[in-house]
Amino acid sequence: MAMLIYIIVSLVLAVAPLLVRTERASNIVSSLFFLVQVASIALIFILGLHDSVMLSIFRADSMAILFHILMTAVLGFALLHSSSYLHAEKVTTRSYKAYYTLLMLLAVAITCVYYSDNVAMTWVFLEATTICSAGIIYHREFEQSLEATWKYIFVCSTGIAMAYLGILLLSTVAEHGALDYASLKAVIESGNPLYLKVAFLLIVVGYSCKMEIFPLYTVGVDANYAAPAPASAFISTALVNAGFVSIMRIYTLYASAAEVFVWARHVLILIGVLSLAVGAMFLRRTNNYKRFLSYSTVENMGIVAIGMGIGGVALWAAVFHVVCHTLVKSSMFFQVGIMRHVYDSYSINRIGNYMSINRVGAVGFILGTLVLLAFPPSPLFLSEIMIFSEIVSEGSWWLLVIMLLLMCVVIYSIWSRTLRLGYHSSQDEIHLSAVNRRLSYSAAVLLAIAIVLGLWQPEVLKSAIDQIINLN
Amino acid sequence: MVLSLIILYVLTLIYLSIADRFRNHTTILAIQGLLLFGIAMARLHAFHPVELSFIIVETLVFKAIAIPAILMHIINKTKINRIHSASTQFGALVMSILALIASCAITYYMADNRTDMIFFGVALYALLSGLILIVLRKRIFAHLVGFLVIENGVFLFSMAIGVELPMLINLAIMLDILISILILGMFLRRMDNDMHTDESDALTSIKD
Repeated sequence: MAMLIYIIVSLVLAVAPLLVRTERASNIVSSLFFLVQVASIALIFILGLHDSVMLSIFRADSMAILFHILMTAVLGFALLHSSSYLHAEKVTTRSYKAYYTLLMLLAVAITCVYYSDNVAMTWVFLEATTICSAGIIYHREFEQSLEATWKYIFVCSTGIAMAYLGILLLSTVAEHGALDYASLKAVIESGNPLYLKVAFLLIVVGYSCKMEIFPLYTVGVDANYAAPAPASAFISTALVNAGFVSIMRIYTLYASAAEVFVWARHVLILIGVLSLAVGAMFLRRTNNYKRFLSYSTVENMGIVAIGMGIGGVALWAAVFHVVCHTLVKSSMFFQVGIMRHVYDSYSINRIGNYMSINRVGAVGFILGTLVLLAFPPSPLFLSEIMIFSEIVSEGSWWLLVIMLLLMCVVIYSIWSRTLRLGYHSSQDEIHLSAVNRRLSYSAAVLLAIAIVLGLWQPEVLKSAIDQIINLN
Repeated sequence: MVLSLIILYVLTLIYLSIADRFRNHTTILAIQGLLLFGIAMARLHAFHPVELSFIIVETLVFKAIAIPAILMHIINKTKINRIHSASTQFGALVMSILALIASCAITYYMADNRTDMIFFGVALYALLSGLILIVLRKRIFAHLVGFLVIENGVFLFSMAIGVELPMLINLAIMLDILISILILGMFLRRMDNDMHTDESDALTSIKD
């Protein structure tokens, strides 16, 4: 019942901006929406709903709650930055209201993915995220956003159709059509191994468009490029996490099918290495800060996939990596949004000297880069060291060498571009706009939380991750 | 009865690979919807009003009427007529036949005693036909048709492995797909209006 109330209230608030007249009213509605998210998380703890099944298709387990908290945090900042971004873009009131509606609908769909306890319903809600994202990607209504939107809907729909095929194959093991994860986990070992392998491949390939890993990562990169920067922050973290949660649930399910699980982990390692390679290659080539951050997401999700493939401590590190990446990457996308307002450009070759224009924003971006590159005390340093140590203990030196080589390319690419932005002079005449330093400070809050997590991990977070990686 | 419907379904897929007018593509999709209705009815074990209604909505209303009507609307609005093929019709036919042979081989290798081999093979052929259509054709409308062929293949596949998902989930899946098609159709028209193109080759402005 609690989940039903949450969904109805959230949906009503999400469509409310379309019914109000002013932009100010839309802001009030979106603030209420944010408060509903916070209240729903608080109620889970107050009413003791942890691990309870709701509406027979949702479960408030640790994974769902943790990622819902993260999504809510990013959403709060996204709503704040969106208002400023849209005013700077001088969008029409109609467009302003549509943007907020779509962003909130996307948040509801993502939340449902997190809480979904049914393999088919996870698919349904993921497809719903495609539909909501499409409107946001097209929001700027220029030629390239139209192209990005078409590619996003088409590739995601086709990819997710493939994932559905995988779910059908997986459901051959189901008894009496029970597709909840616990029921499937109990019977998965009796399934045809060949079917299970093909199912895993199809599901991971299909969901890769959401998690932004190889092979369907391209649509996510294009989507982040075309969408308004605050929405990109949300897509590149909350939506990517929805892809991760969906794959993680399948991963946990397969842990009960010993023979197939080994094969599935190898597949994840291969996908992870390819994602890391693609990220490293395109980080060198791209000339746009938003695409640059998107390829960094591909690279980081590649590391996460490798961690999942290795298992053990690396699996713990992979989940921790996703949590911290959410905070760091959203902070950097918000900083890039402010930067775009200043320069009216995302072009890497064109803009520079940011340190003298917006010192707070520049320091936030440079610090964010250092954290992203896993320099201590970055939490990503911790997670990557844990993954490396597990790789070494498994004796997979070849994997360690490949990862280190690719990460050297990543470090060089990211750091050289960050220095260019901070200290190099702009290439040509640029008409600068006024800087909103308060927004730069607010974006740095998420980064500060990530750095704190690098120095100290609260017991509640450790225990939540322990529960998430419990494969029994 | 079912076998003859399945054979007809395979023939529609072969014809789809060589058809060069989009109106023909749309008609074939409508026929596939009708064939899927017939197949689903023939495989209905007992009379369940809810299940029967759902089959009618999903195949007759959705696949045979609504989707072709949306496609016809797009054709009329965008005035697109013929495919611009990156390969010859003969090449497409050869690819389609190869896909059919590959489907048979994979089915023989994969199918177990719980799976209907004929359905499995045809579903796989439908999936490959959809992918071939997307890869070989330049026009975006053909890609949309390819996506729908894949969706029909997935429907056949669910019958091949005898999975019966709960009604709520089936309904949600159907609505998701319907909305996807509506949005894809809307953006296809917008591309035609704003970019004056309906060819995938024109979609290259975003690159690194």
